[in-house]
Amino acid sequence: MINRTPVLIQALFVAAFIAGPSLAAGDEELKKDMTAVIALQGLACGQVVAVEVNAENDYACTCKDGNRYRVYVSAAGRVVVEKQK
Amino acid sequence: MAAATSMRLTLIPFLFLLFAGCAAVTPDVPVAPKPEVVAPKPISPPPNAMAPAPSTPLPVPAATTSHTGPSTAVTEKKSAARGTETPVAATRPPAASASSVTVAKPATPPATAPPQPAAPPALDLNALKEQLKETKAIGVFTKLTLKNQVDDLLQQFRDFYQGKAKVTMAQLRRSYDLLLMKVLSLLQDADQKLASAIVASREAIWGLLADPKKFATLEG
Repeated sequence: MINRTPVLIQALFVAAFIAGPSLAAGDEELKKDMTAVIALQGLACGQVVAVEVNAENDYACTCKDGNRYRVYVSAAGRVVVEKQK
Repeated sequence: MAAATSMRLTLIPFLFLLFAGCAAVTPDVPVAPKPEVVAPKPISPPPNAMAPAPSTPLPVPAATTSHTGPSTAVTEKKSAARGTETPVAATRPPAASASSVTVAKPATPPATAPPQPAAPPALDLNALKEQLKETKAIGVFTKLTLKNQVDDLLQQFRDFYQGKAKVTMAQLRRSYDLLLMKVLSLLQDADQKLASAIVASREAIWGLLADPKKFATLEG
């Protein structure tokens, strides 16, 4: 029983080390996707620096220039970008 | 004591992994690839008059006599000052100026014909659609946004052919070009093959859209 604790700690360490970079990469992909979506709508942004997940297919994006947008898929299947105040 | 030592020993590889993992994280600001320099080689010699002359004088290209910019003008002035400028007629090959020389026909035609420009590949709209769906160069939301915009453009064409819209064909062409530019700008870095395929099909797709009969078959 005593010997299991170090093993558990080691497993947690390994999981954190492997998951960390892959999560970061996924986050970067999402930011890039959101940047492209906002740019395609012709809205000012520059680059998305932070993305928060509101719900499924619903994101709150913060741009490098300070603008904030809500990006979501409407019931009709359209990508909608709304400027947030 | 022994257990603590063995635990420390087993933790060392994981600490190594920790540092390695941190080092592998990509930076926030992506480093742009160094663009290849494709600028044409300057045709005028360097303007530095104090530079040592080459041991064998290089032939001055005829283009240096044309006024291409300030550096060329400086070069011309310097060469004129040195008295090295040669008249244009002197630089021409003698065969070109000799009118009395009879032009002899080649005994045999050239063995290899000049290469013909490659014919544009046949348009495979379904394959392009599939490739656009499958490409990993564009995110899901971006693909959906592009699809929305393609649908909007198709609706504009539909309205145009039904006489509902007041847009002109030139405006539709501009919208088409803009949309294609958006797609290409998203693809050109990450999926050059698909970008090239779309560029090659550009006029063929426009041919489908701009012809009402072909557009009708596209709709059906």
